[in-house]
Formats: sequence, structure tokens, C-alpha cells
Amino acid sequence: MADHQAVAVATHGGGSGHATVRTYVHVAIVLAIITALEVATLYVPGIPGPVLVISLLVMSAVKFFLVVGFFMHLKYDHPVMRALFVGPLIIAIAIILAVMALFSAFVLLPRVVL
Amino acid sequence: MADHAAAAVVAHAAHDPNIGSTGLDNRKVGMWAFLGSDCMFFGSLIGTYLAYKGKSISGPLPHQVFDIPLTSYSAALLLASSLTMVLGLSALQESRVKKAAMWLFVTAMLGLHFVLNQVYEFTTFVLHHDLKLSTSLFGSSFFVLTGFHGAHVTGGVIWLLILVMLAMRGKLDARDYTKVEIAGLYWHFVDIVWIAIFTVIYLIP
Repeated sequence: MADHQAVAVATHGGGSGHATVRTYVHVAIVLAIITALEVATLYVPGIPGPVLVISLLVMSAVKFFLVVGFFMHLKYDHPVMRALFVGPLIIAIAIILAVMALFSAFVLLPRVVL
Repeated sequence: MADHAAAAVVAHAAHDPNIGSTGLDNRKVGMWAFLGSDCMFFGSLIGTYLAYKGKSISGPLPHQVFDIPLTSYSAALLLASSLTMVLGLSALQESRVKKAAMWLFVTAMLGLHFVLNQVYEFTTFVLHHDLKLSTSLFGSSFFVLTGFHGAHVTGGVIWLLILVMLAMRGKLDARDYTKVEIAGLYWHFVDIVWIAIFTVIYLIP
């Protein structure tokens, strides 16, 4: 059994270790709280549009990186794995911004009216 | 004992065809590369949705059809399934195969519940709001984006159920940790895509 565990650890990709079950549960609780905050933000009257958009994006980004870092173990994984994911992620964000810029569709910036 | 275990690990790694010259598991490197490419795929779909946002000339508008409580519930389902997935992986690492199979099954059921919610949402859009794929720019970009995500979830549910069946037949143990971890990577990716979709498509007015 010990050998099985050692083999499992050795072949999981060169990472230095994983989070504990306690950490997983804590991360899940934080994710649930942030999700509740996101939805609650929508129902708070009087929040200016740009503030609402930025706060929602920040909360979403925190959730994204918590899942990637802890549940997907990228925080503990080999730098090659990190590069394989973060590189395309940057390209994906660039694609979104480029397409939006091409179609003048930025939600935060005022559109130029000619 | 520790030396023996270390020697077993080295010997296993030396004979494991899945370990490449980098010392990394080829299957895991392949999965991360696939997830990277899928990131760009969903990036294109999200970009398209945002580019067309507010430019529909007919049909119902997003705020007229979206059911935020339902999609919030769906988001909670996927987040919960990410927790059960890592609990299953953790149980397998400790050679508790039955417990791992139970957590994987719960994960699959949460995913199935998400898919059924999406089917209900799509049906409501079509039958009650007359919003179809060809109705407007909003309909096209929305159904393509969320439909592809739903297809990914469905694929993940099938993958998880296959792992559960293997575990029930005694064909899955701690040595198959990487196989389950790769399925987990895919499942968590589906979750993070929904985190992005939920905020960008549903929540941002």
C-alpha cells in the first residue's frame, strides 16, 4: 500500500505535494461565499455600472485562480504544467479583448459616437 | 523502509512508459496542453458573445430571459462537484477505493444535475421566450457558447461514470491515481469555464 502511494505520488507529474482535505474544504467554503457575494451584488441598488462590473470580474478571477491553484493543484505542480496552461490563458484573454476592440464592444469604456 | 519505497518509485518511473524524458507524465502534460487549447476555444466564444452583446435587432434580450437564481444554483452545483472530485482523488491516494468511487459518483450526479438544469433553461428559452439559435445574434452566440460548455460537462459525466464502473469492478486502485487526476483536471476546467461564463454572460448587466 505504501508503495502504491509512493508510485502514485511519483507519477503525478513532478509536483511537490497536494493540499490537504481540510484545505480543500476551506477553499470550497471561500468559493461558496464569493459566489453568494457575486449574486447579492446584483441586487444592491445604486452601485455604479463600472464599479459593479469591476467587482464582479475581480470576484470571478479570485474564484478562477482558487480552483486552478488548489483543486487543479497547479500551485504545487511542475512549472511546465503551469506554462502549458497560463500561456494559452493569456492568449485567450488577448483574443477576447481583441475581438471586443474590433467590434467596439467594451463594456467599461464609452463608445465613440461619430 | 523509506529506502525500499524510494527504490520502488525510481524503478517504477524507469519502467513506466508514461514518464517522458522530462520526468513528467506524458498523459498529464497532454491534458494540460489540451486544456490550454480549450481555453483559447472558449475565449473565442466568450469574445464573440461580448462583441455581439447589445447588437441584436430582434428577439428577447438577455435580461428578459435569464433566470439568475437557477443559474446561481447551477454554479453552486459545479463548485460543489469540484470539491467532491478532489475528495475522491484524495481517497484514492489513500487506497480507499470504495470511498473514492462514492465521491466520483456524487461528482457525476452533480454534473448530471447541472446538465438537466441547462436542458430546462434551453427548453424554457425556446418554448416560452421563442429564443432559438437562429433568432438573433444573442440567441446564436449564447446557445453556441453555453451549448459547447454543456457538451463538455456531459462528456465529463460519462468519463466519471466509466471511472466509477472500473472502481466497482476492482479495476481501479491507487496505482491509477494519474488516470483519475487527469479526469479531475478536465472536470475542474469545466468548472472554471462556468465561473467565467456565469459572471461575464449572466451577472454583468
